[in-house]
Amino acid sequence: MRVEKCFFCSAPIYPGHGINFVRNDSKIFRFCRSKCHKAFQKKRNPRKARWTKAFRKAAGKELTVDASLEFEKRRNEPVKYNKELWQTTVKAMKRIEEIKTRRQNHFIANRLKKGKELRKLADKVEVEKNIHLIKSPAAGLKQKKQMVDIVMERDVEQMEEN
Amino acid sequence: MGRNRLKKMHKGDKPLKEKYRTKRRTKDLDLIHNDMKSPDSLLKQEVDLDKPGAAQFYCLTCAKYFINQKALTDHFKSKPHKRRLKALEVEPYTHEEAERAAGMGSYIAPKKVEVLAQDKLAPEDREGDTTMKPA
Repeated sequence: MRVEKCFFCSAPIYPGHGINFVRNDSKIFRFCRSKCHKAFQKKRNPRKARWTKAFRKAAGKELTVDASLEFEKRRNEPVKYNKELWQTTVKAMKRIEEIKTRRQNHFIANRLKKGKELRKLADKVEVEKNIHLIKSPAAGLKQKKQMVDIVMERDVEQMEEN
Repeated sequence: MGRNRLKKMHKGDKPLKEKYRTKRRTKDLDLIHNDMKSPDSLLKQEVDLDKPGAAQFYCLTCAKYFINQKALTDHFKSKPHKRRLKALEVEPYTHEEAERAAGMGSYIAPKKVEVLAQDKLAPEDREGDTTMKPA
């Protein structure tokens, strides 16, 4: 038994699911569901369909290079059953999965930080540009003029006293 | 017995279905990439009267036969052909890439592939407007 990967969206294909297409040159293409099969028939490019794993990896949306990704592999070597080996493998798989998800989440969180910064910057620019909506440029002009008048009067009085 | 469904869900999709049938399957991009590595077998074909233009005017990138030289050169100027050239500039997508994207190994970004224009690949040694040559 083997859990294959979908040609189009890279989803796991469990036994009894999906469809295989064998091309004229005897190359096998596996699909997880009719959605992927149809997209393939229409010659869609998986690197360009936004919902596929290939797109997400190619566009830098997800963690692409990491040591934790190197464990899952197609190993074409039969291994004799050994209880201890089995147990440690299952244990390791769980641990690796834990580490992998943590790193992936960390990557995405880091990626989203950039957008946060940019949004903050854009907000600042917007406020600077539209400051007249918050505070009228004419606000306080009258008061300022009055103050200037008072100061002028005082100056004149002082001049006269001297 | 009346109709169960009021909306005609599959009305008029016969041409579409026909288009995507395996019977009418056109060449995939990865096969065309293979063809481009050894173009001579396709560009210098023997006269085959069953094929359009007796198989003498073939566009390698679009995997298409044309009836004469003019049709072929006109095709080279066309949008579908240029679009195809652009699509061929990256390495073809493989099942291995799908597996890498699924987390079986690190993902390796596809490389660029140089696409030479067909007239540069095979210099013209045919006459300008050859039509169907008698076999």
